[in-house]
Amino acid sequence: MSDTTSPAQGIPKEIERFNKTFLVQHVVMFTTFLILSFTGWGLKYAHEPQGLSSIWIRVWGGAETAGLIHRIAGVTMLLDFIWHVIYLIYLFATKQMTINLKTTIIPLPKDIFDVIKNFMYFFGLSKEKPRFGKYSYAQKFDYWAVFWGMFIIGFSGYALAFPMQVSYIIPEFATGWIWELLGLMHSDEALLAIVFILFWHFYSEHLKPEVFPMSWIWITGKISTDKLKHHHPLEYELLFPEEAKKEKKG
Amino acid sequence: MSQKINAVAVAPLLFLILLLPSPVFSQEPNSCLYCHGSMKGKVKSQSGALVEMHIDAERFKASVHGVLPCTECHIKFTDDSHASSGAAVPSAVLGISSQVSPKFGSDPVAGAACAKCHEEVYKKVLSSVHGKNIVEKKQTDGALCIDCHGTLHYITRAADGKSPMSRKYQVETCGKCHGDKNLIEKYRLEENVMDSFKESFHGRKLHLGHTRAPVCTSCHGVHDISSKSDPASPVVGKNRLVTCGKCHKGANEKFVPAITHKRPGPIPHYGEKLLILLTIGVFAFIVSHVILEAFADIREAIFRKKEGK
Repeated sequence: MSDTTSPAQGIPKEIERFNKTFLVQHVVMFTTFLILSFTGWGLKYAHEPQGLSSIWIRVWGGAETAGLIHRIAGVTMLLDFIWHVIYLIYLFATKQMTINLKTTIIPLPKDIFDVIKNFMYFFGLSKEKPRFGKYSYAQKFDYWAVFWGMFIIGFSGYALAFPMQVSYIIPEFATGWIWELLGLMHSDEALLAIVFILFWHFYSEHLKPEVFPMSWIWITGKISTDKLKHHHPLEYELLFPEEAKKEKKG
Repeated sequence: MSQKINAVAVAPLLFLILLLPSPVFSQEPNSCLYCHGSMKGKVKSQSGALVEMHIDAERFKASVHGVLPCTECHIKFTDDSHASSGAAVPSAVLGISSQVSPKFGSDPVAGAACAKCHEEVYKKVLSSVHGKNIVEKKQTDGALCIDCHGTLHYITRAADGKSPMSRKYQVETCGKCHGDKNLIEKYRLEENVMDSFKESFHGRKLHLGHTRAPVCTSCHGVHDISSKSDPASPVVGKNRLVTCGKCHKGANEKFVPAITHKRPGPIPHYGEKLLILLTIGVFAFIVSHVILEAFADIREAIFRKKEGK
């Protein structure tokens, strides 16, 4: 379907937003994320409310099994992350991906102005919505939050799961406090990640009226040209300059 | 035929049961429990100690020592209305009774009688930090057998789920003293140990029913428990390598500080404050953003409808 072009306009009805590799990486990421949240929650709130966590952990096969599931899911998630980074490096190296200010996911000064513009729009101070490229600031935030989580939660989690192996590389001066800090980092930032996904990601990809019950891009990898024009006008103009010009005149 | 022979051979043996020192059959404990099973309240002994008069016969029989006659431990009353029974007290018990007398106001011999069967363990306890507190410092609040193993007459096996030494209650039992403000102050005990254990990975896992998670005694030793200032303590200095190594094979010097009972140092403390600040900041931003965006989306939907018409 994606190749069918409407004869009147000469542009495809939908375009590829994410390729198959990215889709698989996303599925692995959210599956492991859910498993990690569910099993980790029981340990984080082991004592309160009284007894509830023990029951919850029993659902996951008891403390030992839940711990094993958590570790397996954690390692899988880290491997998924590493795969993603290596894949990006490969795409850049083979020039399949290049940096364009209108399609890049790298945060730019424009994003800060977009936030301000969007808030003005929310408050009714402006009738114009900010015009986004391929990734809005909300989507950039969503993406880089995972990187933050991977470095803080992922690596602290790795150290906590394999303390003996990791202990050899810990510098002498840090041994007194590093373990405590790693535990706090893992637990606090995991809570932040869960809250972030529940509010930020769930609103923009599930609850927003226009995407409810969910945006199907995670399965199809494709976005309709209509939606592209509406939500990512800068990318639309970049991809279909002729059409965009015509529409402006019209 | 063979059944008849069996019956003839076994029947006389049944009489032997009557000779067993069980509370059901023997005369002696029955007669003690005849009164003490129904007595209520406490009586002041000559030395001024308050002595509980009531013994719950059912609970006593169900306890691990339920088959023993009362006089097995109450060998000789030294300070009591029953007066001396004149029985000979084993020298091991007598020696210990004089050592633990500060602890047992009314009947130190009974308190030392555990040594009749558990002599080795008892001596270990007396040379431990808990025992020395009674023997050398003459304090009454040091832990001895019954402080950990349960109420005097109703001691159950540690494997029994209800025992205060069971995996479920062991930490709580130590907490009776090590979580007590007055005792912490009096003996300069490490503060915050109960909370920090509860918060630790070990404590959490134990609470969730992890079968290999350690309890206090797993690391600190059992009857021979020692002070943190004692170089022989299993949780001091290099000894920790062996102690942690029991579960964590290859435990090294950098690994063993992972679990401590100390209050968090400044770095984890302020580190956590920073993380909380970050969490609250991000939370405030995303929640207000989502709410405002939702309102804007609703507003847009309404206006678009109007424009459509």
